[in-house]
Amino acid sequence: MRILPYGPGAVLAEYDDLDTVLAVAHRLRSLALPGVTDVVPALRTVLVVFDGADRSAVEAVLADTRTEPLPPGPLVTVPVHYDGVDLVEVAERTGRTAAEVVALHSSVEYRVAFCGFMPGFAYLLGLPVDLHLPRRSTPRTRVPAGSVAVAADFSAVYPSASPGGWHLLGRTDLELWDEQRPVPALLAPGMRVRFEPR
Amino acid sequence: MSAVSHDRPLLAVSAAGVATSIRDGGRTAMAHLGRGRGGAVDLAALHLANRLVGNPADAPAFETSGGLVLRAERAVMVAVAGSQVDLEVSAGPPLGWGVPTAVPAGAVVRVGRLRGGMRVYLAVRGGVQAATGTLVDGAWSAEVPADGEPSVVAAVPRPLDRPVRLWPGPRLDRFAPGTWDVLTTSRWVVGADSDRVGVRLTGPALRVVARGELPSEGLIEGAVQVPPDGRPIVMLADHPVTGGYPVVAVVDRADLDVIAQAPPGQTIELVAAR
Repeated sequence: MRILPYGPGAVLAEYDDLDTVLAVAHRLRSLALPGVTDVVPALRTVLVVFDGADRSAVEAVLADTRTEPLPPGPLVTVPVHYDGVDLVEVAERTGRTAAEVVALHSSVEYRVAFCGFMPGFAYLLGLPVDLHLPRRSTPRTRVPAGSVAVAADFSAVYPSASPGGWHLLGRTDLELWDEQRPVPALLAPGMRVRFEPR
Repeated sequence: MSAVSHDRPLLAVSAAGVATSIRDGGRTAMAHLGRGRGGAVDLAALHLANRLVGNPADAPAFETSGGLVLRAERAVMVAVAGSQVDLEVSAGPPLGWGVPTAVPAGAVVRVGRLRGGMRVYLAVRGGVQAATGTLVDGAWSAEVPADGEPSVVAAVPRPLDRPVRLWPGPRLDRFAPGTWDVLTTSRWVVGADSDRVGVRLTGPALRVVARGELPSEGLIEGAVQVPPDGRPIVMLADHPVTGGYPVVAVVDRADLDVIAQAPPGQTIELVAAR
C-alpha cells in the first residue's frame, strides 16, 4: 500500500491486487465520511476526492488493508447476439472457429474491475487467455451501443455509441446506462457478469 | 428549481451563438460508474451568476462563448459572470458584468464579444431549462419565483492572468529528475486543441523515465496528465474519470477558473503551491 499525493482535494492509494482495491473502496463508500465526494476504484488504485473532509481520517481508512475481501457481488446475465463484425477475424487470429470463440467468451464468469471511458462502461476481468488480443490498430469512428467487445485481457459492453478500438463479438439489448434508474449504471465495480448466447 | 413550466416561455433564443449550452454544477459521486462531473467549466462563474439572481449556486444557466441573443417574453432578472464581455440590452437598465439586472418584457439581450476569457455565464432568476433540449431557436423557458428579492453579493472579477498554483501529482516520480522545476519555471502556452475535456499546454516536453505502463487510475479536475508526446493536459469538467497516462501535478482548485477561461495562445504561469 502506498499513499500518493494528489493535491489538497484528493488522495490516491495504490495496492497490490484488485481484491484489496474493491474492499477498501467499498469500506470507504459505506463509511460515507463527511466531505468525501467521490471514491473511484481502478485496477490497482483507489482515488478519493473530498471537499472539506478530514484527510487523515480518509488516509487511515485507505491504509487499513486488513479489510476482509468482499463477498462476491451480484450476478448480471447479459444476453448476447454473437454476430459482431470482428467475430470471424478474432476466430482467425486465435486459431479457432467462430463457434469456439462464442463458447469460450460465454463460458466464464467475469468481474467488474472498474468503470471509465464513458458513463456505464465497465472493464470486465476474467477473459480467457486464448482470447487476449491487442486493440485494433485503427479504432473505429463509431461502435454501436450495446456492442459486446474484447481487448487485451478485458471484455466490455459499450453503453452508448462511441469511437472505439475493441474487437466486436456481438451485441446486447440491455440498457447499460439509464438516467431514469435510481442507479443509472447496470454494472458497478465488484459485480459479476455472464454472457449468454441468444 | 421545482415547477418549471414550459407552457409560458420566459425567454426565446433568437441566436444560440458560439459553444452555447445550458449547464448546471454537474454531479459528483458517479465517477466510479464512469460519469464525470460535466457541468459548467468555470464553476466559480456559474456560482456567482446564480447567486446574483438569488438562485441556488449550482442551478442551470447559459454557458456561452458569445453571440447568444435572447428575447425576454416576460420580465426577467438576469446576471452575467465569467469572462469580461460586451453586453447589450434593447430596453430597461443597462446590463453589466456581475450586476443583477431587470430585463423588461420584449427586450432583446445580446451577449457579444468576450474580452480576455473563453466562457460567459448568464443566469436567469428561477433557473433555465431547455424545453426542447436543443440549441436551435425556440422555446427555452424558466420560471421566476413569485416572491422574494434576489440576494445580491459583492461581485469583483478576479484577474484571469494570475499565476496558477500547482501541487505535486501522484506520478511525479515517474518523470525525469528536475521535472517539477521545469513545470514551475517554464513558459506554458495554451494550445488551440483545448476543449471542455482539458487544456493542452505547449512548452518543453516532459519526459517519463520509469519503465512499464501504468494501469488506468482515477483522474480529477485540475490533474495534469502527460501523454507520450510530453505535452501536459490540464483536465476540465468533461475529463474521462480514469486514464492511463501519468499525472505529474495537480492545479489548485481555487485557480481552475484561470485554466477554464484561458484562450489559445495565452501564457500560463505555473507556480509551486505551498
